[in-house]
Amino acid sequence: MPYYLRKRIIDIIISIIMLIFLGLTLLPVGWMIFSSLKSSSDIAIGRVGLSRNLTGQVEVHWDNYVDMWKNVNFGLYLKNSLIICGSTMFLAMILSTLAAYALSRFKFPGSDLFSNTILATQMIPAIMYLIPLYIMFVKFTIMTGIPIKGTYLGLILIYSAFFVPFSIWILRGFFASIPKELEEAARIDGCSPLQVFWYIALPLAKPGIIATGIYLFLQAWDELMFAWVLTNGDTMTIPVGIRLFVGNYQNRFDLMMAAATVATIPVVVLFFMLQKHIVRGLTAGAVKG
Amino acid sequence: MANVLLEDVSKYFGDVQAVRDVNLEIKDKEFVVLVGPSGCGKTTTLRMIAGLEEVSEGKISINGRLVNDVPPKDRNIAMVFQSYALYPHMKVYDNMAFGLKLRGIPKKDIDGRVREAGEILGLTSYLDRLPKHLSGGQRQRVALGRAIVRNPQVFLMDEPLSNLDAKLRVSMRAELQRIHRKLEATIVYVTHDQIEAMTLGQRVAVILNGELQQVENPLNVYEKPVNRFVAGFMGSPPMNFVKGTIRKKGAVYVFEAEGFSFEVPVDLGGLLAGHVDKEVVFGLRPEDIWDVPSSNWIEQKAQLEVVVDFRELMGSDTYVYVKIGKTPITGRIGAMSDPKPGSKYNLVFNLRKIHFFDPATQKAII
Repeated sequence: MPYYLRKRIIDIIISIIMLIFLGLTLLPVGWMIFSSLKSSSDIAIGRVGLSRNLTGQVEVHWDNYVDMWKNVNFGLYLKNSLIICGSTMFLAMILSTLAAYALSRFKFPGSDLFSNTILATQMIPAIMYLIPLYIMFVKFTIMTGIPIKGTYLGLILIYSAFFVPFSIWILRGFFASIPKELEEAARIDGCSPLQVFWYIALPLAKPGIIATGIYLFLQAWDELMFAWVLTNGDTMTIPVGIRLFVGNYQNRFDLMMAAATVATIPVVVLFFMLQKHIVRGLTAGAVKG
Repeated sequence: MANVLLEDVSKYFGDVQAVRDVNLEIKDKEFVVLVGPSGCGKTTTLRMIAGLEEVSEGKISINGRLVNDVPPKDRNIAMVFQSYALYPHMKVYDNMAFGLKLRGIPKKDIDGRVREAGEILGLTSYLDRLPKHLSGGQRQRVALGRAIVRNPQVFLMDEPLSNLDAKLRVSMRAELQRIHRKLEATIVYVTHDQIEAMTLGQRVAVILNGELQQVENPLNVYEKPVNRFVAGFMGSPPMNFVKGTIRKKGAVYVFEAEGFSFEVPVDLGGLLAGHVDKEVVFGLRPEDIWDVPSSNWIEQKAQLEVVVDFRELMGSDTYVYVKIGKTPITGRIGAMSDPKPGSKYNLVFNLRKIHFFDPATQKAII
């Protein structure tokens, strides 16, 4: 078989495999959107296909997308999630870019120990922190009078603390891949170390920073356990709030699916807004060697 | 512009001494080339002048000011890197303007200087391109431009031409000389390429194992190398070396090697007085080896019959590879002569150009 034909067949096989995986990934999403347009009772009886009315006509339940805002206080949860996850993303990214740059470029006493400790923190399951953190939150408020459980700040701090080590580890690689000569050239051109970071390292690591930022946002957006324990009725996020569609007397899976669909929208928007920045080869043309 | 003074400068990386007691004065407006094989410490020396490496011992002064503890940005120097090190996220214009902006120079002046440098380097039509859309030669010129606009006291260049193809390198060599004349700049240039060293440097500083071997104008370094290393490093193909012994026969000194001997010209013989009956290394450059037909003009010569190992026809001349005893010898003879491999062939040595080295100290005797 000629080489180009063989290559083509292999390409096709790989494409088919990838399409299968893509399908598997999209299946739950499709199921979610599909279910959000059905009636509650049709979901409950496990009916395949869209709902039909008594005359057998297809009935698309767009009204689920109206009712979901009334049935629970979804607007509040959406607002809480946006505030908490947005702030977490900014705070964690500011801290971790600075730390990652320092770790990738400067040698200081304890720098190796510090990087390894960061990695070590990732080996402890998050659930281990839950009870100590809860006690800490309560005791902190008793001792200082400053409320922290049930506030935005409490959850933002916890999320940032959880995500900073991971993003430091990822970003360190991005900073390390920037050619050293560029920073040396900038130093000779007149940059202080902080200016080197600001004018050279930060713009060049932008794809990595944005990708990591989106990842953090997603992680915070989906987080249920800590949000459940550490928020209250005024500050609960979407993952916590969405559970309220399942109650003692009725399960509104139709509304829950509509709410879940709406909850994915900010993430999708964020991703498409920032996608054009996640381009490879930004350092192309910098150095040859 | 300014001079650069290195006094007893040393650099240690851990226990390894990369640069050893270098003493060098680079004069105002001078073009000095640091040349040596890779890993010899020449780049480290340059980086110490730039302030990118700390000086372990000794002093570096620029224009009379001790700069050991001055950060690179305050040394008023510009550096051109081997890899160009252009800022990939900035257009050519901004690459050149960056250093000026940081120094708070008014926008109008920046614009003037960048456009002037662009004109000198023929980059005017590329000013709003990104580096990745330029060819290697153009990138190199942008890197030069970034240095020129700053109007620094000293230019430091770290193998700036080694990533260019051979043809471009030749034209950039000429361009560098032109820029040097035009800017009247002090330039310290690092290269491992001895042709660049010969053609560019007003003075050449040859470095080996972190030690400065010889600092002189290029022709002197070529004609009168102070030791065997300098002799072997400068010149291509490299100088031939043959081990042998000096004998004294009457008033004449004779060099004897395996299968080969000649009388040293009388006026040079005196220099060998201390080496009679001792081992020496004889050195002769390939271009001082001739074929018989074109050697009539040489007054003092030695003829030798050899068996041709192989030869390379270069077009402009022919390299002939032979052996004297077990020592391989390269001769660079006229393009018209075509010694057949395996055949016997007569070579003529121009004895006015001979060198002798002491095998113990490697130092030049003649």
